[in-house]
Amino acid sequence: MSPRLKISKYVIERLSKIDTNETTGCLYGLMYDSTLLVVGLSLEFFEDEKNTYRQLLLHLPAEIELCGVVKFTGSLSIESKPKEILQNVDITDNPLFLIINNEKDIKAHFLVHDKFEETPFEILQPEDLWKQFTYVRLNTILPLTCEATMTGVKNIMQNKRKKIASGQVSFHIDGSSVYLFGVDSDVGVTGTSVETDIGELIDSLNPEQSSKKKKNVINKAEIMSVNLVMKATKDMFSDKLVKTAVKMMTTQRKPAFCISMPLRVDTLALVHRNTKLSELYNVLVEATCRSLKLLESVLLEQLGQEGIGDGAGLRLPETFHYLPQELGHFITRVVPKDIPDESMEKERRILHEQLGLSVQRPIFRRGNAYNFIISKLVNPHEAITVHSLKPDVRVALVRGRYIYYHYMQDNFNDDGWGCAYRSMQTIFSWFRFQGYTSVEVPTHREIQQCLVNIGDKPTSFLGSKQWIGSTEVMFCLETLLGVQSRIIFANTGSELLNYTPELVHHFEKHGSPIMIGGGVLAHTIIGVEYNNITNETRYLILDPHYTGVDDINTVISKGWCGWKNSDFWNKTAHYNLCLPQTKPSI
Amino acid sequence: MVRTVYSPEYCLQYLEQYASQETFVLGLILGQISNARENVIHLARTPEEKPVESSSEASFTSEKTELVHNLLAVSEAWVADHARHVTRMLPGGIFVQGIFITSDEDIFEDPNHFSKVRAVLNYVHKALGMNQFMYGNYTNLNEKLILHMSTSTKVLTCKTIEVGVGKNSAIKPVDWKFLPKHQQWQRLDCYYEFDEVYPVIVKKSGISVKQQFQQILESANKTISSSVMFIDGELKDGSEALEQLVKKKRPKSSTKCAQDTPKSMHVSLFVPFENSLPETVEYLECDGSIHFSGVVSSSVFMYPKATVSEAILAVKQDIIRSLASRFTMHCDALIDDNLLPEEKVCFNEPPRRVLVPVGSLYFCDYLFPGEAPAEALLSVKELLDLQITESEVICDVETPADTSEFDALDRDTSSEELLATPQEASQFMYITGICFAMLVLFVSILIHYYDAIVHFISNVVSRS
Repeated sequence: MSPRLKISKYVIERLSKIDTNETTGCLYGLMYDSTLLVVGLSLEFFEDEKNTYRQLLLHLPAEIELCGVVKFTGSLSIESKPKEILQNVDITDNPLFLIINNEKDIKAHFLVHDKFEETPFEILQPEDLWKQFTYVRLNTILPLTCEATMTGVKNIMQNKRKKIASGQVSFHIDGSSVYLFGVDSDVGVTGTSVETDIGELIDSLNPEQSSKKKKNVINKAEIMSVNLVMKATKDMFSDKLVKTAVKMMTTQRKPAFCISMPLRVDTLALVHRNTKLSELYNVLVEATCRSLKLLESVLLEQLGQEGIGDGAGLRLPETFHYLPQELGHFITRVVPKDIPDESMEKERRILHEQLGLSVQRPIFRRGNAYNFIISKLVNPHEAITVHSLKPDVRVALVRGRYIYYHYMQDNFNDDGWGCAYRSMQTIFSWFRFQGYTSVEVPTHREIQQCLVNIGDKPTSFLGSKQWIGSTEVMFCLETLLGVQSRIIFANTGSELLNYTPELVHHFEKHGSPIMIGGGVLAHTIIGVEYNNITNETRYLILDPHYTGVDDINTVISKGWCGWKNSDFWNKTAHYNLCLPQTKPSI
Repeated sequence: MVRTVYSPEYCLQYLEQYASQETFVLGLILGQISNARENVIHLARTPEEKPVESSSEASFTSEKTELVHNLLAVSEAWVADHARHVTRMLPGGIFVQGIFITSDEDIFEDPNHFSKVRAVLNYVHKALGMNQFMYGNYTNLNEKLILHMSTSTKVLTCKTIEVGVGKNSAIKPVDWKFLPKHQQWQRLDCYYEFDEVYPVIVKKSGISVKQQFQQILESANKTISSSVMFIDGELKDGSEALEQLVKKKRPKSSTKCAQDTPKSMHVSLFVPFENSLPETVEYLECDGSIHFSGVVSSSVFMYPKATVSEAILAVKQDIIRSLASRFTMHCDALIDDNLLPEEKVCFNEPPRRVLVPVGSLYFCDYLFPGEAPAEALLSVKELLDLQITESEVICDVETPADTSEFDALDRDTSSEELLATPQEASQFMYITGICFAMLVLFVSILIHYYDAIVHFISNVVSRS
């Protein structure tokens, strides 16, 4: 029987945006509860023997497997080619075949007994995806010592994978007494009931989060952290028990070179919250093996390069996880430590193209990596309930992640004077998250120091409580980040309305937050809504004057982050806007 | 509260037997302290000093060639050496708790005698603390027991003395109790496995075996201390008593079975990976590798009311203590500590563990490759003052290392192959083989043409 089919809204959106004829791609999904959920896709040509989709699989969280093929065609009819592709593509059962025509209509088929059967599908909304699924993140460090040759690395990595898969490892869920272990082929759980599912365990680990009725939820990845322990004792009852007493063998040989490093395994798996803990063991083994393969490929690639061939210049592989907004799932990359992002543009370009992502802005630089631990609020506006849009309304929002900076954060009292500084910090955090920079978000003092350094302010400005405005924000962005900004002057609050098209254009092209200063107040604009018919404009405002704790419910319900009508602006005050510009790059 | 010590009754008979025969005897008290109770397990008389055998360990003067019949003549170093050797035979969780003395003097009253006792115990304490990996001293308490039986009155007195603090050591009374019944023990078993390959940098002088063993010990100690221990496949609450675990498992109806010796518990240790290495790739020139592999069998005996945490500590200390004992014994027996660069492949096989019965539980001994179980009888007699038969020695907890096994191990992909492949060894053997074949050929030619050659030589000789 073929499974039920669900397709993530993210995939549907990406498919509809891909502007290409007669091309093909791969679909990636996971099985749960006799349902196939398609969560990702890549563009593939199936022309050479490279099988780039197989390599891409290593970048995806464990449990996500290749599940089918998509074809962009003029008509929705099935031709012979997909069958050939499906035969080459290694999918275990019921391969999926999607066709999408120029009108972006989608038809789904399962290949059952060599015949295509059309199947209905359901679209899984992003909020449901985030609510129903959770990520398990495994972190561990494996000490690695081997000969500094490609064979040396290959062999040892294979041995590590064998060891991981041999049932000798146990997984410990951080912050709990729960251990998952494999006893020979049997799988066990200790510290909780075998019947416990992952969702229950996560809720029991964060009781205060689950008790809040989750009224305002940011579409945020839920992460359960796991570490790995290795079994060092032998099974007493095993037939294979070898009881040879400890001994030492010393082999001396001609001088050779070896490498030794702490191999940091950092890997993700995507699982449904209803998954039983007892089922998680094998998932984590697979996740670890995927990570080891990815780490291996980076080590081998380095050893294959000229100059590093002998291993002397080998760099530690570092793992980064990315959650690009368009994808809705993680992509994991491993890059050699200390190699600048600039010199790895080629690899990133390939990934952008394979995933059908824009090549106008960075997505996979180190700075774009997902931060798992941020105490401040990230993208609070995503928690605002979205009302169905009228056809004449156009909305343009900030693109990508930013941190909500506001008064009193980090035990720093800037109540009454620091609003523009906070707005500037929000903008800065956006540039960091988008991978344009790795410079730390500056403190108030660092911002002041910057303005003194460039001669915009006297030395007495340092440590003072003086306000800054849009031009100062522009100067700082220019000096600290090399970012150019456009300044818009509006003589009155009502005159701002004239600039709505420019704001829409800004968000669509650059996507950065806008700082606006007027009278004594500074705000951050993170979106605009424009109604063609009524000529009305609404602004999505992030208010830095908030002095409370970083609680999403308060921030949303009290309107510290929310939509404001144009009467929000003071009709008589002058306004200056700072629109930070981006340059196309990846 | 007065410290109370429980002892099996045979210890009383043991003391009485000496007290009635001889004027002076000194020995060690071996036992286990848990928060629940302190148990003495065995008393072992310190063997009489034999100057010939112990040349290096204890130095003493020629006047002591006759037997020591007096406390004041006892060599502290000799007793300490006994304590060190006995500690090797103790499973984790069991320690040298103090000394016993039978004599006609009142050792607590006579200042000369008492300061001698203190000196002996301080020496023992220091000697046991020398090698941290032996876990010779019970760390939570720096008091040692002194048990005295008067040979004239047969009165038994026990006190504790603070050790390692100099002259002002505190002395406290102890309530020594004899138990008519056999003490029950909870046994915990495991096999800890080593399989590590690491590179070595050869110095001109070669590789020091002792140094390599020391490094292995240090890293094993770190790893094992940080490991997580499961009992019978489950993570247990550290504060729970061991007997509680047994009771939980048994249905109430079968409480009668609980009277029997409790079953052994199986222990598994899980090692977390910790980041002790620097966050960088090290590139080293190495001249070979070390492959350390095999098992340490561990059998630990705990008072059933002892807690899970106490048992965990005992198991961990047992593994390290056993490793340290083997290494010390191995290195003591080595003629040359250095491996010369010419030695392409070298095996070091430390002695293996065997179990010897002591009362209702087991201590251990170590047998070098090729040694028979009978060797264990000697050390049990000498160090524990106990007569056992060869059949009582349990020899199969570990099997001796078989060097041919190394080849198999190294071909096995589960061991980290590349560093450990003994290529040079096979090459070496190949060359040796060829040489040997040449020799055989030469000899056979010699034999075949013997007559001709003899004839030829005799011709040559006769011509001259």
